[in-house]
Amino acid sequence: MMALVTVSAIFLRWLPAHGFPILLLFAVSSAAALAIYLTQRRRYSTSSHGIARENVDADITAVLWTAFAGVVLGALGIGVVLAA
Amino acid sequence: MTNSQPASSEPSPPSRGRIAERLLPGGEEPDPRFTLANERTFLAWIRTSLALLAGGIAIEAFTADLFLEPVRKGLAIVLLLLGMLLSAGAAVRWLRVERSMRNKAPLPLPLIVPLLAAAGALAAAVVLVFILWR
Repeated sequence: MMALVTVSAIFLRWLPAHGFPILLLFAVSSAAALAIYLTQRRRYSTSSHGIARENVDADITAVLWTAFAGVVLGALGIGVVLAA
Repeated sequence: MTNSQPASSEPSPPSRGRIAERLLPGGEEPDPRFTLANERTFLAWIRTSLALLAGGIAIEAFTADLFLEPVRKGLAIVLLLLGMLLSAGAAVRWLRVERSMRNKAPLPLPLIVPLLAAAGALAAAVVLVFILWR
């Protein structure tokens, strides 16, 4: 989550160089960080209870969403670079 | 003669959800420490991917007086593509490792490691050639 927040702040730093398209990157990375922040308490609770009963279900949805966010950020970044 | 299964006294395991049943079929839940370690490794790859994405945009934004435009754009796109591939590859790797652990099979080789090494070497070679040629 903190890596996504840091990256979204770095994207904002490049607003003067790339203009408004960079706001899309900022929005996606901020939204991903916010989603992680809002769900982390539930996921922590699920994991800690799972450790206590020695059975943790793999959080496949979170993994797929995080990877999807990375792919979308990359695609948007390529679009920004090609449009510059 | 019937072919019915004997009734089991054990309760059926709780449903893992449709996506999990589809992508991680069969086997049994591995040790929770291994599942969480697999997730931490996935997150480490995601951090690498984010660094590459940020680096790709940085090269495009801040090296205008250092590199020619085609070199600059090429390097930026290589880094961004690599970041995308790492992000998707990290999820695939997580899935393959999770499947292997569920089925008590040997862990798969990490295919994203040679990808990262080759692309890093390519980017370094492009920069080296450019610096020597300049």
